[in-house]
Amino acid sequence: MSQYITLNIDGSDVSTPKGSSVMEAALRYGICIPHLCYLPTISESGACRICIVENIVDGKPVITSSCTLVAKEGMVIRTNTEKIRRLRRNIAELLVAQAPNSRALQDIAVKCGVKEVRYPFRHDDCVLCGRCVRVCEDLYQARAIGFIGRGSQRYVGFPFDVRPDFCKRCWACVDLCLMKETPCDGPMEIGKEYLCGKCESTIFAGQYDAGDCIRCDMGKGFGCTRHKF
Amino acid sequence: MHRRITSPENLEAVSRGLAAERDDGRVLMTVCGGPGCQASRCHDVASEIRKQVKDRELEKKIRLRVTGCHGFCEQGPIVLVGPEKIFYCRVKQEDVREILDHAANGGGAVERLLYTDPDTGRTVIHEADVPFYRAQTPDLLLQNRQVDPLSIEDYLAIGGYSALGKILAGMEPEKVIQEVTDSGLRGLGGAGFPTGRKWAACRAAYGEEKYVVCNADEGDPGAFMDRGILEGNPHAVIEGMIIGAWAIGAQEGYIYVRNEYPIAVEHARIAVGQARDYGFLGANILGSGLDFDISITRGAGAFVCGESTALMVSLEGKVGEPRPKDVEPVERGLWNKPTTVNNVETWANIPSIIRKGAGWFAGIGTEKSKGTKILALTGQVRNTGLVEVAFGTTIRTIVEDIGGGGLDGKKIKAVQTGGPSGGCLPESMFDLPVDFDLLQEKGSMVGSGGLVVLDEDACMVDVAKYFLKFLQDESCGKCVPCRIGVSRLLEIVTDITEGRGKPEYLDLLEDLGETVAQTSLCGLGKTAPNPVLSTLKYFRDEYEAHINEKRCPAHICKALIRYVIDPDKCNGCMACLSACPSGAIHGEKKQVHTIDTGMCDKCGICVTVCGRGAISVQ
Ligand SMILES: Cc1cc2nc3c(=O)[nH]c(=O)nc-3n(C[C@H](O)[C@H](O)[C@H](O)COP(=O)(O)O)c2cc1C
Ligand code: SF4
Ligand code: SF4
Ligand code: FES
Repeated sequence: MSQYITLNIDGSDVSTPKGSSVMEAALRYGICIPHLCYLPTISESGACRICIVENIVDGKPVITSSCTLVAKEGMVIRTNTEKIRRLRRNIAELLVAQAPNSRALQDIAVKCGVKEVRYPFRHDDCVLCGRCVRVCEDLYQARAIGFIGRGSQRYVGFPFDVRPDFCKRCWACVDLCLMKETPCDGPMEIGKEYLCGKCESTIFAGQYDAGDCIRCDMGKGFGCTRHKF
Repeated sequence: MHRRITSPENLEAVSRGLAAERDDGRVLMTVCGGPGCQASRCHDVASEIRKQVKDRELEKKIRLRVTGCHGFCEQGPIVLVGPEKIFYCRVKQEDVREILDHAANGGGAVERLLYTDPDTGRTVIHEADVPFYRAQTPDLLLQNRQVDPLSIEDYLAIGGYSALGKILAGMEPEKVIQEVTDSGLRGLGGAGFPTGRKWAACRAAYGEEKYVVCNADEGDPGAFMDRGILEGNPHAVIEGMIIGAWAIGAQEGYIYVRNEYPIAVEHARIAVGQARDYGFLGANILGSGLDFDISITRGAGAFVCGESTALMVSLEGKVGEPRPKDVEPVERGLWNKPTTVNNVETWANIPSIIRKGAGWFAGIGTEKSKGTKILALTGQVRNTGLVEVAFGTTIRTIVEDIGGGGLDGKKIKAVQTGGPSGGCLPESMFDLPVDFDLLQEKGSMVGSGGLVVLDEDACMVDVAKYFLKFLQDESCGKCVPCRIGVSRLLEIVTDITEGRGKPEYLDLLEDLGETVAQTSLCGLGKTAPNPVLSTLKYFRDEYEAHINEKRCPAHICKALIRYVIDPDKCNGCMACLSACPSGAIHGEKKQVHTIDTGMCDKCGICVTVCGRGAISVQ
């Protein structure tokens, strides 16, 4: 039995190991799909929705997150249609308006083509991407932090808000946190937030080769403003 | 204990016996024991009947049955008498003597307890002639009237479990699935997914262990159709699930009941116990070799737990949060095993479909929406309650004929259908039939079956705000478009209602609404923009009045209304001045008074105390 399947992404036939997600297939092939909550080798959650693509089913596009979509033989995927770019830009706008002090979110917003923010800025210090929770559970098997509460009350915390003994103090959570770096000028004054995005966030570097942003051509498709031309 | 039934033939004989036993010439009195009637103390009426029948030795003449909800909750407690169903409404304990006198002596009806048709002013004797029931096509709600939910024998006597007997006597699972597919039944819990197709996929899915789940989480505010069925006729749901288990190849089933429904839980528990005693659940059901059993679980108390993937996670004992449906639950659901989740009403329709055939079911409804749907009719209409209509019935029929039109002669402006994340449709579209695809096309949905009637006093922007608030509070918070997007929608709509709206907000609402609908992870987020998008589509003028003229046409949005005193009418009696809790009214005795808009809290008390009608809202 073949261990590889072939699917079509943006017009190219892409061969990928069975069981991999559409996002992994695309990145490995050299098509960049922007993403936030996704971490290689760690379970996906589909929380940020930045990585949306169109999956063409019976001729009709179905929008879904590519990090959770398992690649299947013969699938047809579009990662950069006009509509996808607009919806993705809107999501990035929501994110940067929610937490403008994150260099990572400023970076992703600019990459996805956000030019103006139509909402009053908020000052959240967490966007609940869950990278920390998942690395703690999946990679370090500690489960020292988790999501608490529902909806707008939801936050990341320790059980009963006390650091448990089984926290290994590995700081993987901090390492991966989107809020780890502020924009170069430091935290913004309340009421004077702005769309910055002047420079790259290191959050996305070093994860795996294809994802390292080196201002390559890969993001041409979705109109990445970081690509070198 | 009861005799265990060991074969389909045996079942037939038992059912025939039970039906004959019930046909004993006594006059049947049916008391509705549904949630609405319970609130109006129907149990006092029932116990009074029981007591008097005993005291007056009427046991040979009268038989009492307390059933589940009949639908017309508004008029409860309801008592039906005899095979011709004399319809008494708003019955009180003291009325029982008179009703019994008439019933026992076969002498007509108690005139003063009959229903008066408000249009003609005449009383109506029989249930079938009550306008509320006339345009309905009851099947499930009819069964509700025929059985005592605590009596499996009642259910057997009306042909209950005969569908199970039929399939176990030699109907292959594939044949059962074909029958359900041919019937055209679609999921009645919200999404309208073809039930036969779901079952076929689940049967085809790879795995030894499979599950069937009944979704009775019903978290929509104001909805109680699933409660009505599970409380009123739990055996129909159980029989449906056993048939589903046979068709799919499942060994275990779960009924996931909303935590706030203790009676539904109790009735379901009792019914499952009775079904076990009779041998409809457990090992080797009816001697066919089918092993299947059902457990009952109480919900975790969140609206989002009704979403099928969240429900399964919750059943596994974890926090109920949706997961992406890129792998369908029919392949990997509960404990990662193939699982079919269906709604209470969907399951309850199965026995009738098998018993009467797919053709019967497919004969009711529209081209692509078959059978009937139970709706919870609420809001500003005369008659409220549960109504069961054939798909294809127009909204106008439901609102005007069944609902009896507006309250106090007010003009009806719109209906909000499909629960909190449904949409609003204006009066001009009331000729639309209830149909999954048509309503969706128009920006609303059938959903779980909520139908809220709004009259001219409703502000559509405020309505949108109300539902957005509910959805923001119920969002699980996992994904960005729903958690942040809905809160932004609410923020913008709130700005509009509070007079801070800007013209560009309307485009922003549309753009953001589409983003949330298209990119959210689960059905909650995908439908959450419906209330705002549909009101924006059909009542754009109201949004514009709020934004451009800073005016709320319905006088609902407090920030945009002003209380003023007409100087020509005011005689300076000071009644309003002393009544105003905010001290916003000034004036000397016998002089014209004025309201300081800045201090006014818009409570409206002054309007009610002014004897001269001098105060109005602008
Ligand atoms: C937020 C949300 C809440 C839901 N709540 C319910 C519910 O209370 N009861 C229900 O039967 N279905 C509910 N559903 C629909 C279920 O996800 C699922 O579609 C349904 O149970 C499948 O059964 P059906 O095909 O018989 O309708 C809900 C869906 C969403 C997105
Ligand atoms: S703390 Fe950081 S990594 Fe964790 S969920 Fe929040 S933003 Fe994401
Ligand atoms: S759409 Fe809303 S309810 Fe559904 S997963 Fe996302 S945040 Fe949770
Ligand atoms: S990266 Fe796929 S949803 Fe966040």
